[in-house]
Amino acid sequence: MSDRKIFSVVGIFDSAQHLMNAIPDIRKRVNAPLEAYTPYPVEGLDKLLGYRKSPVGGMVLVMGIIGALSALGFELWTSGRDYPQVTAGKPLFSWEAFVPIMFEVTVLFAAFTAGLGMLLLLNRLPMFRHPMLRSSSLPLVTRDRFALAVEARGAEIDVEKITRLLQEFGAKSVEVVEEPAPAGVASPKFFLRTLTAIGIVCILAGFITYWTMKLFPIVKPMVHMLDQPRLNPQSPSRYFSDGSGMRMPVSGTVARGSVPYTIRNQELAGDLVNPLYRTETVLRQGRQAYMNNCSVCHGVLGDGKTSLTKAYGAKPANLVSQSIAGLPDGKLYHVIVAGKNAMASYSAELGEDERWATVHYLRVLQRAANARDEDIPK
Amino acid sequence: MKSGSTLTTAESTLQLLKPPSVVTGHLTIGGLDDQVLTPVGTKPPLAWFVAFSVTLSATLIGIALIAYTIATGIGVWGNNVPVAWAFDIINFVFWVGIGHAGTLISAILLLFRARWRNAISRFSEAMTIFAVICATLFPLIHVGRPWLAFWLAPYPNQRAIWPNFRSPLLWDVFAVNTYFLVSLLFWYIGLIPDLASLRDRTTNRVKKAVYTVLALGWRGASLHWHHYERAYLIIAGLATGLVLSVHSVVSFDFAVSLVPGWHMTIFPPYFVTGAIFAGFAMVVMAMVVVRKTMRLENLITDYHLEVMNKVILTCSCLMGYAYLLEGFTAWYSMNPYIHHTFMQYITGSYWWAGWLTITCNVLIPQLLWLRPIRRSYSGMILVAVAVTVGMWFERFVIIVSSLHQDFLPSSWQIYKPTFVDYGILLGSFGLFFTLVLLFARVLPVIATSEMKMVLPGSQPAHKGGRHE
Repeated sequence: MSDRKIFSVVGIFDSAQHLMNAIPDIRKRVNAPLEAYTPYPVEGLDKLLGYRKSPVGGMVLVMGIIGALSALGFELWTSGRDYPQVTAGKPLFSWEAFVPIMFEVTVLFAAFTAGLGMLLLLNRLPMFRHPMLRSSSLPLVTRDRFALAVEARGAEIDVEKITRLLQEFGAKSVEVVEEPAPAGVASPKFFLRTLTAIGIVCILAGFITYWTMKLFPIVKPMVHMLDQPRLNPQSPSRYFSDGSGMRMPVSGTVARGSVPYTIRNQELAGDLVNPLYRTETVLRQGRQAYMNNCSVCHGVLGDGKTSLTKAYGAKPANLVSQSIAGLPDGKLYHVIVAGKNAMASYSAELGEDERWATVHYLRVLQRAANARDEDIPK
Repeated sequence: MKSGSTLTTAESTLQLLKPPSVVTGHLTIGGLDDQVLTPVGTKPPLAWFVAFSVTLSATLIGIALIAYTIATGIGVWGNNVPVAWAFDIINFVFWVGIGHAGTLISAILLLFRARWRNAISRFSEAMTIFAVICATLFPLIHVGRPWLAFWLAPYPNQRAIWPNFRSPLLWDVFAVNTYFLVSLLFWYIGLIPDLASLRDRTTNRVKKAVYTVLALGWRGASLHWHHYERAYLIIAGLATGLVLSVHSVVSFDFAVSLVPGWHMTIFPPYFVTGAIFAGFAMVVMAMVVVRKTMRLENLITDYHLEVMNKVILTCSCLMGYAYLLEGFTAWYSMNPYIHHTFMQYITGSYWWAGWLTITCNVLIPQLLWLRPIRRSYSGMILVAVAVTVGMWFERFVIIVSSLHQDFLPSSWQIYKPTFVDYGILLGSFGLFFTLVLLFARVLPVIATSEMKMVLPGSQPAHKGGRHE
């Protein structure tokens, strides 16, 4: 016999009846925990071994209620509050329509609690290192024999006495099952190492994916809206006889909201009058347009000093300087429409009203940059 | 003398009432393992390869046509307004229905303590899972862009929208997915003790490794069985509610709409009955083949087949009642639209489908009143095939006949399926039977631990308990 610790002494019985007959007698004579191994559930065995009622039912009840409440709460929140949709004129919190999914989620939670709770929590499976799995008795048990194990559970047991007892009460054969050799795959160290390895692999995979996508942009994820039959600007089309995809406006017509701009010279534009009143709405609109289109180069304050200036060697105009502050509205408007020096035209980006609103906002910036004492509110 | 004869009569009556043994012949617990587990994982016979090549070819045809559909668009099907739902939804409802027999056998009959279920539960549960796989395929390809099907899941997204939880179509997604997951769990938990038996039997190292992992280290400890039995019973109870809910939810896809012929309160029970009906027919067909080819006549006995045929007969009568009630509703409601739709079922363009349904589902199964037919292979195969065809056409009638003449007469259309529709239907049958054939060779077709439990002499004969 090896010097390994003894886990249990297992007696093999021929039938469920023999096993059940032996249990009360052996229990009286041996003061050690008993465990039976059977090929199928044997009626009454759990009572004989003194098991308490299985807690599966309670677990299922709790998780079922949690499932029901979370499903109902989620449905009410999404359909009634976060993304309110009126369907068929019903009120937003129409709980009746949420019952079917609530029921399904309840069953899902409850069934998986019963199944996985039983396997993982109560029975502590998967378990590949149990000493019984290495014994020669288990193949008999999973076939048609019944085993009764007197377990040591760390304490010393009298192997010879128990062997004799088991044989006396009907065991056909007796096996001494030893504790397995320590360490191995299921040690905490192994799990820690596996987890670390998985973590490293995940991080590496993330980096590799990121850089591959960045350096070789062959794979465009989620471009379903780009992959559609449509006509891009400036692209040819066989649909029209001239082969061009873009159309000229019908002659003699003007698109809504766009008056043709015919002034060619900034000097001539000085006579234009800003058609907008300086209301708060207009100034807000002007600020929005300025922030979106102008501030990148001319700066949030209009002084022409931004990070771009340095980086590209460009010299955008200082819009709050005296020379520009002195220009009439029309000349500023002309620059927005026609561009100046390195600045391109913004007529495509800004509508007519937005351009005039931007001019108004420019006046605000200029006044703010050259504020006088009386501008400070009392 | 007189009292003696009365006693004999009483005893013989008791003998008649006692359910027959679940097995024929003498079978020991170990012998059961030898019979059921030995063929698992061995080289199949020639007939299996012939059958497998046929089903696999059908599957490949289906896959090719699904690929064609996805590449081209679902315009290759015959569906068009007003018949926007056709073969795809018919097949979906049909396959989900087939699955229901498995859950009924494994869950509801477990709760009723019908011991005869133990021999057929494993096989029918597997059929449930395969049928639900076939079923989920159809809505998936019907959405047109199946790679976007994850939009059905309620997950936080940059579009800041949520799925419509008031829509029966979303209920369907939840119901069918829950059904699939719970069926899979139930099936796997039932398999664990058998996998442990296989693990301890096999000498092949590869197989042993696979079975060891799958069996999760099951060792048959009585404490484990104690929790296992409780959990199994609870999942059975949950699955019972689930099986009733799933086809009810499928029927809501129709009943919650306003289409005449669909908008009826009888739909949920009518659909559930139909599902169990079709499913049992499929189980009977499969069982006849399985018991014959795998030599399981002693485990799946004539008694089993007869009981299943009785279930089919009961469902058939219920279906007849449901059809009558549809006619009654059409008449009693005095609603001209429902009346028109019902008349379309029996006298309209698809009158032949309506009468085929009634013949196959109500008239032919009445043969099962005769005991010799309940026990003859040809008789029960005839009925089972008729029921399968009939139930498919019942969904055809419900969907196509109701839709092809909608509220707007100018859009009335006759629906004609294309070869793609037929091919994908064939493919779904191919997939189902391919999976069934594979299952029959790699896993035990009979739940041995459940069978061992009910074999004669397997339970201790203690006072007051049940015994043989």
